[in-house]
Amino acid sequence: MLKLEHLQKRYGNFSLDCSLELPPGCVTGLIGQNGAGKSTTFKAILGLISTDGGSVTILGKDLKDFTARDKEELGVVLSDSGFSGYLTVQDVIPVLQNLYPRFDKVFFLRQIQRFQLPLDKKIKDFSTGMKAKLKVLTAISHHAKLLILDEPTAGLDVVARDELLEMLREFMEQDEEHSILISSHISSDLETLCDDLYMIHEGKIILHEDTDVLLSDYALLKVSQEQYDKLDKQFLLRSRKESYGYSCLTDQRQYYMENYPQLAIEKGSIDEVITMMIRGAAL
Amino acid sequence: MKGLMIKDLKLMKSQKNFFLLILAVAVGMILFSEDVTFGLGFLTFVVSLFTLSTISYDEFDNGNAFLFSLPITRKTYVMEKYSLGLLLGGGSWISATLLVLAVGMFRGTYTVSEIMLIALMILPVMILIQAIMIPFQLKFGGEKGRLAIIGALGLLFILGAAAVKLAEAMNVDLFALISSLPTPSMGMLLAVVITGALILLLVSIRISIGIMRKKEF
Repeated sequence: MLKLEHLQKRYGNFSLDCSLELPPGCVTGLIGQNGAGKSTTFKAILGLISTDGGSVTILGKDLKDFTARDKEELGVVLSDSGFSGYLTVQDVIPVLQNLYPRFDKVFFLRQIQRFQLPLDKKIKDFSTGMKAKLKVLTAISHHAKLLILDEPTAGLDVVARDELLEMLREFMEQDEEHSILISSHISSDLETLCDDLYMIHEGKIILHEDTDVLLSDYALLKVSQEQYDKLDKQFLLRSRKESYGYSCLTDQRQYYMENYPQLAIEKGSIDEVITMMIRGAAL
Repeated sequence: MKGLMIKDLKLMKSQKNFFLLILAVAVGMILFSEDVTFGLGFLTFVVSLFTLSTISYDEFDNGNAFLFSLPITRKTYVMEKYSLGLLLGGGSWISATLLVLAVGMFRGTYTVSEIMLIALMILPVMILIQAIMIPFQLKFGGEKGRLAIIGALGLLFILGAAAVKLAEAMNVDLFALISSLPTPSMGMLLAVVITGALILLLVSIRISIGIMRKKEF
């Protein structure tokens, strides 16, 4: 569905070099801190910014050959942009109808009603949650094949976030070819939804792993200096000095559980894995 | 393009009161002033410039990023803005001309041909204003766009003044020169001026497309 090969973009002292692949039928997450390069990657995929190298293949076409007609197959949410706040939902409907020949007005209106979004209130007066729901609804209401969602859950409370993730799950169930690329700086938003995750830091992809593997095989070892010295380090990805000794990240939990039964081994949450990948020292 | 046009018309709806005020002022001018031409020009120019405010609305809150993720091209966007400008300018020009014709005939102060002549002189000016303002607005945006326009007018004025001074220094009387030119019929002159304005509009569209293609959102 989507493939980035060494996509590059330089801004002052920031430089992006991102490769990732999204197969059909998959939900792929892009996790990173604020300023890690998530939005830049999304904007480059959408042709909103020029790039300094690399290639983007989207729905089987090179980005340069991707036409306005092809864009009808995409549903897009951007974190910092949307329809003008001076429009109402009522205003947006005919606009979408004319931009997307396959816009499903019945579905759209049903969802508007389900989430109790007002039809005649200006979007700028919506709450954060209402704005976020409208954005996602706009993206999924025209039979898109690929959703490109940049931080769709930012600033949402737990209930609103779950409703939004539910909308995305329903989208995935409609067709087995449907795919989603979604970003967030909060990993717990993504771990229940995504099949695999990419972690981006300072413009580079530092980790790519299936969510299942990440949750089952990654672990944190909390060891004293003495234990650390004796430890087999071949399956350690990162380590960090702590007050009690060392905290180490591994992607082979089973190995350490079997060979070092006396060690304190914690299942790594995605947030901990990210923190270790970024803050820890490579071995 | 139709989708974008609907968006702009919906956006203009939020300026409805301002729009009605302008309409009232212009109609008042035409009805109660001896000189109907000012009202005619005023209505045409001001209404045609509503296009610029839709460009500001698009830019507001980084709205352009989302706009250009929709199935449109940058060229379509530019074409839509010019179409909207001509539609608004043309529509208000026709309405204002009809109103002035009615008032003029009722009062008997102007003949139909006089009014048509004035109206036809306003038309190329309206086109020219669009041709100049839209690329400036697209390039520099709302606030800076206004400054850029003032700067450009200032520069034009200085160049004009310099040309006159230069002519004076060379002992050439510009006004005598112009009035000594063979005067083609008024209709011919208007046709030439309107064609010239349309050519400039086409050049302006090309420039605007170039500006939009280079933009990053």
